[in-house]
Amino acid sequence: MSPTHAAEVRTLLELLARYSHWLLFVVLEVVSLVLLFQFNHYQRSVWLTTANTAVGHINAMEQEVLHYISLGTINEALTRRNLILEQELEGLQWELRALTHDSTYTERLHARQMRGHDLLPAHIVTNSVTHRDNYITIDRGTADGIEAEMGVVSGTGIVGIVYMTSNHYAVVMPLLNSHSHISCRLRGSSYFGYLNWDGRHPLYATLDDLPRHARIAVGDVVETSGFSSVFPAGIFVGKVVAIEDSDDGLGYKLRVHLGTDLSRLRDVCVVRHTFHDELWQLEQQVQP
Amino acid sequence: MLITFLSRLLWLLVLIALQMLVFNHIHLLGYATALPYVYLLMLMPKDTPRWQLLLWGFAGGLAADVVSLTPGVGAGAMTVTAMAQPSLLRLFEPKDAPADLEPSLADMGVAPYMRYAAAMVLLFCTAYFALLAFSFFHLRDLALSLVSTFALTLAVCLSLEALRKQPQQHGRL
Repeated sequence: MSPTHAAEVRTLLELLARYSHWLLFVVLEVVSLVLLFQFNHYQRSVWLTTANTAVGHINAMEQEVLHYISLGTINEALTRRNLILEQELEGLQWELRALTHDSTYTERLHARQMRGHDLLPAHIVTNSVTHRDNYITIDRGTADGIEAEMGVVSGTGIVGIVYMTSNHYAVVMPLLNSHSHISCRLRGSSYFGYLNWDGRHPLYATLDDLPRHARIAVGDVVETSGFSSVFPAGIFVGKVVAIEDSDDGLGYKLRVHLGTDLSRLRDVCVVRHTFHDELWQLEQQVQP
Repeated sequence: MLITFLSRLLWLLVLIALQMLVFNHIHLLGYATALPYVYLLMLMPKDTPRWQLLLWGFAGGLAADVVSLTPGVGAGAMTVTAMAQPSLLRLFEPKDAPADLEPSLADMGVAPYMRYAAAMVLLFCTAYFALLAFSFFHLRDLALSLVSTFALTLAVCLSLEALRKQPQQHGRL
C-alpha cells in the first residue's frame, strides 16, 4: 500500500471513530424500533398501515409515470385507429353522396350511359402520378369479379383499364401511362382518335389522329367512343383546351384537360359489361 | 472506573425497581405516569463519552421496557435522550463550568439545573409518547398524557436530585 493510500485509510478510520456514536445511535434506534414493531401489535399495525399507504402512493405515482411513458404507443394506436375511422367515414360519405345528392349533368349522363353495365365500387390502395408509366392498385380482384381489360371510372370521368388482377387486388393502367391508348371521340360528332399521355402534366392528355376536316373547337367535350367492350360510349373524359397540328401534319392533335384529377382520386368503380361472359365466349369462338 | 460503573448500575437498578414497584401502578387521572428512569441520564457527567451515554440509555430504557411491558418504547426514547444529553448540558451549564461537570443542583445552581432537567424530561417524554402513540389520531389525549407525565416525571426527578445532594459529595458518578 502506498503512503498516500495509507494516509487516506487512516483519515477514513479517524472519521469513522469521530462519528462512531452516530452509527451506534442508529443501530440502537433500529434495535428499539425492531422491538417496538415485533412485540407491540398496535405500533406494528399503524406502521404497516402507514407503510401500505406510502407504498400505495408510490405505486400510484409509478403507474402515472409508466402511463405517461406509454402515451407514445397509445398515441400510435390512436393514430392508426383514427386513420381507419377516417377511411370508413370517407367511404360512407361517398356512398351517402351517391345516394342522396343532386347529381351533376355529367354524373347523370354517366348513370344513363352505364345502363347495361355493372359498376363495382373499389378503393384505391396505391396511386402515383409522377412517373412516366403510372399504375393504380385497387382493393378488388378476381374474387370480386374483376378481370383484366375492364374499364375503371370515377364520378368525374374515366380513370383507366384493369391491367392485371390477383384474388383481392387489381392493378389499373390509368390514363397517365405511356402505354394507355383509349379510343375517344368528340361529343356530338363521329370523329374519334386515341387518347395518350405525354408524361408531363397529370391533368392534361393528348387526343391524336383527328382528321383534318373535322370541325373542332376549344371547349369541345371529349368522351369515350364505345368502340370496345371496355367502356360504354359517351363517358366523359375531358375538354379540349388547345388544337395543334399532328406530327405528320395530316391531322389534328388536341390537348385535353382531363375531367379526373388522378392525384386526388380515392374511390373508383370498375365497369363490368352485363353480358361480358357471353361476349367473351363469342370472341373466343372466332379466334383462330 | 469500576466504581463509577457499579454506581451507575446501582442507580439503574434502583430506578427500574422504583418504576416497576411504584410508578407503574400510579396513573394520575388516567394520564400521568412517572417515568423517572430518565434520571439515570441526567446524572451523567459532562465528560462521559457518547457511546457510554448511548449504551446506558439504551440499557436503562430496555430494562424499563421489560418491567413495563413496552418493548422498544423506553429503549428508543432513552437512546434519543442520551444522544442529546451533552448538547442540553452544554446549553444550560453555568459559565466557567469545569470540563467534568456533574449535573446537579449543587454544582449548576437551582435555575440552570431545573432548566436542564426540564429539557431532558421533556425530550424524553416527547420521544416516549411519540413511539407509544405512533400516530396523531388522538392528539388531545396525547398532549394531556405528555404534559402530565412530563410534570410528574420532572417532579420525581427533582425530588430524587434533592435526595441525592448529600451522597454526591462523596463520590463521582
